[in-house]
Amino acid sequence: MTPPQGTVLLEAQHVTQRFRLPNGQELEALRDVSLTVREHEVVALVGPSGCGKSTLLRMFAGLARPGEGKVLYRGQPLDGVLAASAMVFQSFALLPWLTVVENVAMGLEARGVDGVARRDAVARAINLVGLDGFEQAYPKELSGGMKQRVGFARALAVAPEILLMDEPFGALDPLTTENMRSQVIDLWRDPATGVNTLVIVTHSVEEAVFLAGRIIVFGSNPGHVREELVNTLPYPRQERSPDFNVMVERLHAILTATLLPEPVPAAPQRLLPFPRVHVSEVTGLLDHLLTLPDGKGHVFELAEDLGVDYDRMSAVVRAAEQLGWVTTPGEVVQLTGAGRDVMAMDDAERKDATRARLLKQPLFGRLVAMLKESEGVVEDEEVLADLTIYFPFIPVESLFRTVVEWGRYAELLDHDPDAGRLGLLGWEGGTTAEARAE
Amino acid sequence: MKPLRLPPRFGLADVAILCLVGGVIATVVAFAREFEAPFVQAIQIDLRPTALPWYTLYSLSRGVVALVISYLFALGFGWAAARSRMAERLLLPMLDILQSIPVLGFLPGLVLGLMSLFPTRNVGLELAAIVMIFTAQAWNLALSFYSSLKSLPQPLRDACKVAGWPPGRTFRELEVPAGAQGLVWNGMLSMAGGWFFLMVNEAFRLGDHDYRLPGIGSYMSVALDQGNVRAMALAIGAMVAMIVCVDQLLWRPLVVWVEKFRLDETPGGGPRPSSWVLEFLRHAHLPRHAARYQQRAYRSARRATRTLELPFRAVGPVLVRAPRLALEHPLARKIGTALLVMALAAGAAWGAWHLWLLLGQLKWTDWGALLAAAALTFVRVMGSVILSTAWALPAGVFVGRSPRVARTLQPVIQVVASFPAPMLFPLVILLFERIGVGLGLGAVALMVLAGQWYILFNVISAIAAIPQQLKDASAAFRLPRWSRWRALYLPAALPALITGWVTAAGGAWNGSIVAEYIEAGGRLRITRGLGSLISEATAHANFPLLAGGIALMSLVVVSWNRLVWRSMMGWAQARFGLEQ
Repeated sequence: MTPPQGTVLLEAQHVTQRFRLPNGQELEALRDVSLTVREHEVVALVGPSGCGKSTLLRMFAGLARPGEGKVLYRGQPLDGVLAASAMVFQSFALLPWLTVVENVAMGLEARGVDGVARRDAVARAINLVGLDGFEQAYPKELSGGMKQRVGFARALAVAPEILLMDEPFGALDPLTTENMRSQVIDLWRDPATGVNTLVIVTHSVEEAVFLAGRIIVFGSNPGHVREELVNTLPYPRQERSPDFNVMVERLHAILTATLLPEPVPAAPQRLLPFPRVHVSEVTGLLDHLLTLPDGKGHVFELAEDLGVDYDRMSAVVRAAEQLGWVTTPGEVVQLTGAGRDVMAMDDAERKDATRARLLKQPLFGRLVAMLKESEGVVEDEEVLADLTIYFPFIPVESLFRTVVEWGRYAELLDHDPDAGRLGLLGWEGGTTAEARAE
Repeated sequence: MKPLRLPPRFGLADVAILCLVGGVIATVVAFAREFEAPFVQAIQIDLRPTALPWYTLYSLSRGVVALVISYLFALGFGWAAARSRMAERLLLPMLDILQSIPVLGFLPGLVLGLMSLFPTRNVGLELAAIVMIFTAQAWNLALSFYSSLKSLPQPLRDACKVAGWPPGRTFRELEVPAGAQGLVWNGMLSMAGGWFFLMVNEAFRLGDHDYRLPGIGSYMSVALDQGNVRAMALAIGAMVAMIVCVDQLLWRPLVVWVEKFRLDETPGGGPRPSSWVLEFLRHAHLPRHAARYQQRAYRSARRATRTLELPFRAVGPVLVRAPRLALEHPLARKIGTALLVMALAAGAAWGAWHLWLLLGQLKWTDWGALLAAAALTFVRVMGSVILSTAWALPAGVFVGRSPRVARTLQPVIQVVASFPAPMLFPLVILLFERIGVGLGLGAVALMVLAGQWYILFNVISAIAAIPQQLKDASAAFRLPRWSRWRALYLPAALPALITGWVTAAGGAWNGSIVAEYIEAGGRLRITRGLGSLISEATAHANFPLLAGGIALMSLVVVSWNRLVWRSMMGWAQARFGLEQ
């Protein structure tokens, strides 16, 4: 496939970004990310949540500065907000006390558009997104889709060269989304809008394939570029056409490789973080797999069936896999014998089985060892400090909550939130839950 | 330019507006004249009823001026604290201390300082009164604006940046509107708080000096001195009338109007608040025309001054950018920070040194007396908190659990609570004497008057905020009355109750200064306590003792807040907070 042509508009060079959580832990959001956006391109940034794609978008807009590395526009380092760009936000970010017209006009004054010219620009933008008749409405009177149209109109009113979109359809219903996606492409292809380059952050594989000419897949912990996929399907694209489906499959495969890496037969003492999912989500997955022929399903179809995004789905699958209840050959999730067994058990047996499985997890094993060393009780602080050392890229407080939830469910751990202490259940001077289970 | 001509349709509302504007202008002129008047000791207060409206307007003007200053302070403070991490670290603890120390104790120093600046005019005394009202109004406004800035969603900020709004415009059109609701509601509370020391602010003795300002507070205190019952009743009536008018003409319309600036789109349950005044004004034509005239005038002014602007355009960016660039340089920033910290430290050291010199004049016996007095007042404060809780908790639950009752009673309670309790102190004490209760116990009742409303308001709002589903659940499972209290109302009210205790105790400490030392019916009554010690030190111009008293009271209040209330609050929030 030929590499994309055209002038380089935006360029990220070896961008690394760290930030500090309120608990003092330092997280790396992006590590050594390099990326270019060329004129007349539509670029989609996809990847799991927390991979830094939105951070990168804010850097392109000039809203954030990279900690290390550079962000360039036409070869010049960005200084402040990039005037050649406009942005559309997932939460719309409309000022509730301004009317539609006033919201749309927000960016015009700073660009020196005044008087009649301003009125014309606003009218044109409102007309482009089909909001005529709603000029004097306040945002609270509009539906979600209409609000996002105002968001688009506000961006289009300044006739930006680059339109940056941060999950623009994330808060909208599927029908509205479908309709607005095609309109975005129309806007991009319409020379009258002035917009010639789009950068979109999205969670949806179909959306990325439908819109983008180039799809950048991000990996997380810390955020980095995993792969680039060039999409040469001609516009306007037909969803569900064979070519489109092939493209979706390819992106699925890349994402699966990113989200569900083949388990590395690594040294057993290496600590793996436990995916931050709830017990009920894993049992829900197993329950659903039981209803499928052969107890298997495609991870993206599972996500669709269960109504969660693929990012969440793959975390649930990883948890089930770590517990040995499913395997993941390629993009397929396959229920294992142990998984079938555990679903056939009654509640108490299931808890016992889960406890046995958890104890095989290096993370829980280490925790139990720690608890035994200190007479069955440790302070939360101590555990958190320990986790921070092992998992510098994961917010450890939420990991801790997950560990507590699973430990409580399996009747392995006891947590006293008032005293801030974690206890080992069944610890009476040597007789542990483990011993009882055997 | 077109001549200004009256709009074609001219209604009753327009007449009302014109009358109001005229009244405001007249008041401002009269007040300014009062400001400029030569200073006279113990001016005569005219007790005739015809003089009372003017006195009321004078007092109101002081409150309004102080409120305007408080708003300016709150905007500046909130902005700085939300913008800069360093300012935040410095300003928040400062505010926390400022709002919990007894400001009344600083009145003598303030008056003397300002009087020495303007020895011949009334300005000094007026400014002192206004600053004292300001210290009762400003802190909660500042905290409210700060917290609404901190909770502003990042995308909204980003949207303004992407639109290329300069900081000034973002402030005017994003940050202030986003904080408007909090600013108005807290302004209402602040205004009420500002009246608390009305009588002391307008009439107090320092040694052999008698300082008086014309106003409703001094009217009341003269009436009390002379035992003139009719004048007392008139003063109380005028105060109530003023509070009701301000509530109806200013706060209600504002509360309804700021609904527009709500950030979350789900309106709170029940019908929206309404204001007959705002409805009435919305029928007026004048404001709309005024807006157009103003716009036209602004535009032509801009056009006229455009030539003058050119040099500024050229120099402006340099003037604005240079300091900004300088500030962005890490070394310059460090130096600036260091200078600022040093200046602050020097100021603090200077203050501490002078305080030390003053306190050094106190003998050991004085300290003993101070500590004993503090213990006595402490017991009274706690007693008043317990007493207030005993009635305000059940009453608050009763009012808060039914939206209908809350809706009808809330405005009434607000007006009642705005009434400055110290105005009633002498009357209450005279009543107590008749039934044989001395000031030692009576002071506790007075301190209840000073602090009870905070508890009531906090409980009402906490109970009203209980999710309907929880109330439904306790009804569906037919919880008996006592279990319903134990399982639902008390835990739900507890975090707010503790917040109420903090403020009520603060109010009681402040109130002790006027509650333990009361002049009524021409006779002075004193009961031992830290408050009366401070009042006596003021009356005898005993500055070392005054400084010692204030320092001790501040210390007790701040450390009790830090050590007891705060840990209780943290515990209650974690254990009984309703957000999950």
